[in-house]
Amino acid sequence: MAMPVLATKLFIPVLRPRAVPRPRLVERLREGLHSGRKLTLISAPAGFGKTTLLSEWIADARRRDPQVRVGWLSLDEGDNDPSRFLTYLVSALQRADPALGLEALALPGTSFDPALTTLINDVAQSSSAIILVLDDFQLIEDESIRDAVVFLLDHLPSNLHLAIASRSDPLLPVARLRAGGELTELRAADLRFTPDEAAVFLGKMVDLDLSAADVAALDARTEGWIAGLQLAALSMRDRSDVSGFIEGFTGSNRFVLDYLAEEVLQRQPDEVREFLLHTSVLNRLSGPLCDAVTGQAGSSEMLESLERDNLFVVPLDDRRRWYRYHHLFADVLRARLLRDRPDRVSELHVLASEWYERNDLPEDAVTHALAAADFGRAARVIEAAIPVVRKSRQDATLLRWLTLLPDEVIDRRPVLGVYCAWSSLVAGDVEAVEPRLRVAERALATTADDGTPTHDSAAGEELRMLPVMIAVYRAAVAQARGNVAEIRVHAERALELVEPADHLGRGAAAGFLGLAAWATGDLEGGVRAFREVRTSLLLAGNVADALGTTIVLADMLIPLGRLREAQRSYEQALLQAAEQGEPPPQSTADLHVGLSELLRERGELAAAAEHLATSEALGEHASLHENRHRWFVAMASLREAEGQLDAALELLTTAVGLHRRGFFPEVRPISAMKARIWIAHGRLADAEAWVSGRGLSAADDLSYLREFEHITLARLLIAQHRADPRDRAIEAAAGLLDRLLAAAEAGGRTGSAIEILVLRALALGAQGRTALALQPLQRALALAEPEGYLRIFADEGEPLTALLGATADAGILPDYVRRLRQAMRQTTGDGVSLGGIPDPLSERELHVLRLLATELSGPQIARELYVSLNTLRTHTRHIFGKLDVNSRPAAVGRATELGLI
Amino acid sequence: MSERHPMPRGHDGQGRYEIRLQGQLDDSWSDWFEGFTLANESDGTTTLTGPVIDQAALHGLLRRVGNLGVTLISVNVLRSRQP
Repeated sequence: MAMPVLATKLFIPVLRPRAVPRPRLVERLREGLHSGRKLTLISAPAGFGKTTLLSEWIADARRRDPQVRVGWLSLDEGDNDPSRFLTYLVSALQRADPALGLEALALPGTSFDPALTTLINDVAQSSSAIILVLDDFQLIEDESIRDAVVFLLDHLPSNLHLAIASRSDPLLPVARLRAGGELTELRAADLRFTPDEAAVFLGKMVDLDLSAADVAALDARTEGWIAGLQLAALSMRDRSDVSGFIEGFTGSNRFVLDYLAEEVLQRQPDEVREFLLHTSVLNRLSGPLCDAVTGQAGSSEMLESLERDNLFVVPLDDRRRWYRYHHLFADVLRARLLRDRPDRVSELHVLASEWYERNDLPEDAVTHALAAADFGRAARVIEAAIPVVRKSRQDATLLRWLTLLPDEVIDRRPVLGVYCAWSSLVAGDVEAVEPRLRVAERALATTADDGTPTHDSAAGEELRMLPVMIAVYRAAVAQARGNVAEIRVHAERALELVEPADHLGRGAAAGFLGLAAWATGDLEGGVRAFREVRTSLLLAGNVADALGTTIVLADMLIPLGRLREAQRSYEQALLQAAEQGEPPPQSTADLHVGLSELLRERGELAAAAEHLATSEALGEHASLHENRHRWFVAMASLREAEGQLDAALELLTTAVGLHRRGFFPEVRPISAMKARIWIAHGRLADAEAWVSGRGLSAADDLSYLREFEHITLARLLIAQHRADPRDRAIEAAAGLLDRLLAAAEAGGRTGSAIEILVLRALALGAQGRTALALQPLQRALALAEPEGYLRIFADEGEPLTALLGATADAGILPDYVRRLRQAMRQTTGDGVSLGGIPDPLSERELHVLRLLATELSGPQIARELYVSLNTLRTHTRHIFGKLDVNSRPAAVGRATELGLI
Repeated sequence: MSERHPMPRGHDGQGRYEIRLQGQLDDSWSDWFEGFTLANESDGTTTLTGPVIDQAALHGLLRRVGNLGVTLISVNVLRSRQP
């Protein structure tokens, strides 16, 4: 079950038969729609007939073009939760075209853009012209939602028109749209009733013969403000002394609303006035709800009669079940209630909260409980709603509620306390987590004399899982602080407590154990733990995260020297990802990156580049946040293999900016990768600065976490010796490498050992001791051949070429050595050759080209690549230019000739 | 109040404000306007006077004014004499 979508918010208001037709305004709106402007904005204070005008325009547009589709969303304060807003936005569009937005809602993640992009693509593909109305937009204050609406406007498909009604100018680029002729705008001055309109309106509202002078006086006194005229009409109805009223009203200085609301209310029978005041605390009105709040029967009939009498009651559906008061009238009523019966306000809110709770509408139940300052009640309803809210991903709503609850109320409910701890954790406020957990734990442990718990949390699944979650969150805090021993303690505690069926709890605990093992260099232990994580996640039905564990597993298998196993894991995971259909699971793009790195190591550079292109095409929403830097790291290694060191450095700088710390142990720091490129480039001073910045020395105690950095240091020492043979750095390098080798062998890290052995050989080679150098090199080759390593040798370039020559002469592993030497000859050329054309195609263009060779249509290809049709056209134009052709079949033909596809 | 908010006056816009509105509103709106006092002026305007704890509170109050559709004429900080 998800949080219910309230149909009343999507209801297109029906034009009242007694409304005054406003052809001059409808004509302007119609003209704006027809001339293809993006946005209609109606900006005016309450009571100017914004909603009524929009319904008249919508009715007119539908009459003229029965094909036009309409989505309407009446916003409220709760829509400041981005995921809730998105849900309603999609639901409103689905009223226009049910096929829209199915994918957008299924997309995971916290960012709006992926969901909006797919939604926009959906709309662009729809054959219908759609008008989307956002009413009461002034209530939207959340910046990410405003950004999303700006994004929507910037990428608005031509078949979608947006209409916004707001009491204040929205924080959208209105001036830009106005200047660009993209805006149709109506403001208070346009909306005021002219004297003629006022006359028609009053004529429809009251059965009186008003003189032209009377009408003019009323119009002048209310300044054409429609709500004022409506109140005036209600005040005159059934009154014997109409001219006396007009005289009194027009002669008064009192604020129109104040004067008239008093008049109207006083003229109501007591029971109606009571009903209006008591139900004014409600944002929506239904018969049963009003019965509950007023304690009287017959509310449905009352609401119908209020609607008939034009007493500012607005129907919210066409079955006369839900209504609301006109906002202005509601404010007047609430001010009166506050003045006349301040003692009753809380009680009325509690009655409303009880009714909503009974009817399974927790959001409104909480809102009214909070309005009544009945925090105990609010906390109980919130706690019961946690599982539902979590499933609907409306965490923002829940967090907003929690900030409104006093701490002592949260402290009495361990379930809420632990939820608060979690929210602090994800917000990065690590310090705030433990105090919350401790309070919750103490509350769980305390019992009354008869053994019953003294806390307020309700029994159930959430409460039962709580001890496991407390241990897991503590492990997470330890992980964030880099305290490996503490991670172990808490993760093991969680595993002891976890119930057999609690797969998520087990997966989380095993994950932390695995991370701890990884950080200490126990890679076998880490692999075992993450296999268990993967199984638990699959049992819990979380395929995306289960596939994501492949990346962690591969990161440990590679230093273990198990390249083939790592590659197989990636290939299987990609198959599983493909079985999930569209949209691809969130880790799919990261899986392509991981596979690319393995293919690169094995010398398959073109295939490696292709997987990076696929990953890029899948886009950010097929990638997990913590993995986003990896694409740039992989691309940098590829550029490095092609000899483009500057490009590689630039990519690594981008990777640093994207890297999110704290998720995984940093066993291959990006700064060390940069240092390696500087060393290869001869920029030794830069590398030396890095070494001293990191406080590295050849005499350091060794740990797995610093292995990559220490190997980098050894590389620098060798390079220093080459630059100045008098330097005694080479001896330090030899000593460090010997110790590193022993540590790697002790930890079973064959992959690390191969690299260390290669460096040992290079160090000896640099000293001119070629014969001695062949010993470690032969060991490295023997370990590397079964797994198909290539770049680990080839990337060393010239110095190793000489040693490999000597190896070949000695007849060591001849086939393998021949392959390596061949690969090294290619590297010194111009990188990967891509066919006999002067201007080679980019990887992206090759990808597009392969899709052009399929049966897919243009829009389908754009969709496949997650780009707009325009971007696809740009790619296609470039491809045609480079291949010197003018059509898709010709491009495919030429590419086939060239062997590009 | 000043003990609980040891910041210098004017910080965060804390202080007494005077808000002038077109039309006359009687004092029964006082609760609605967060306890501000309402005074009807001879020129047909209403002056709301009261304390504001910060900018957010001021904006909330102005929104209430806007919601009623009342015309806003001016907003002034009342400078109390320095001690």
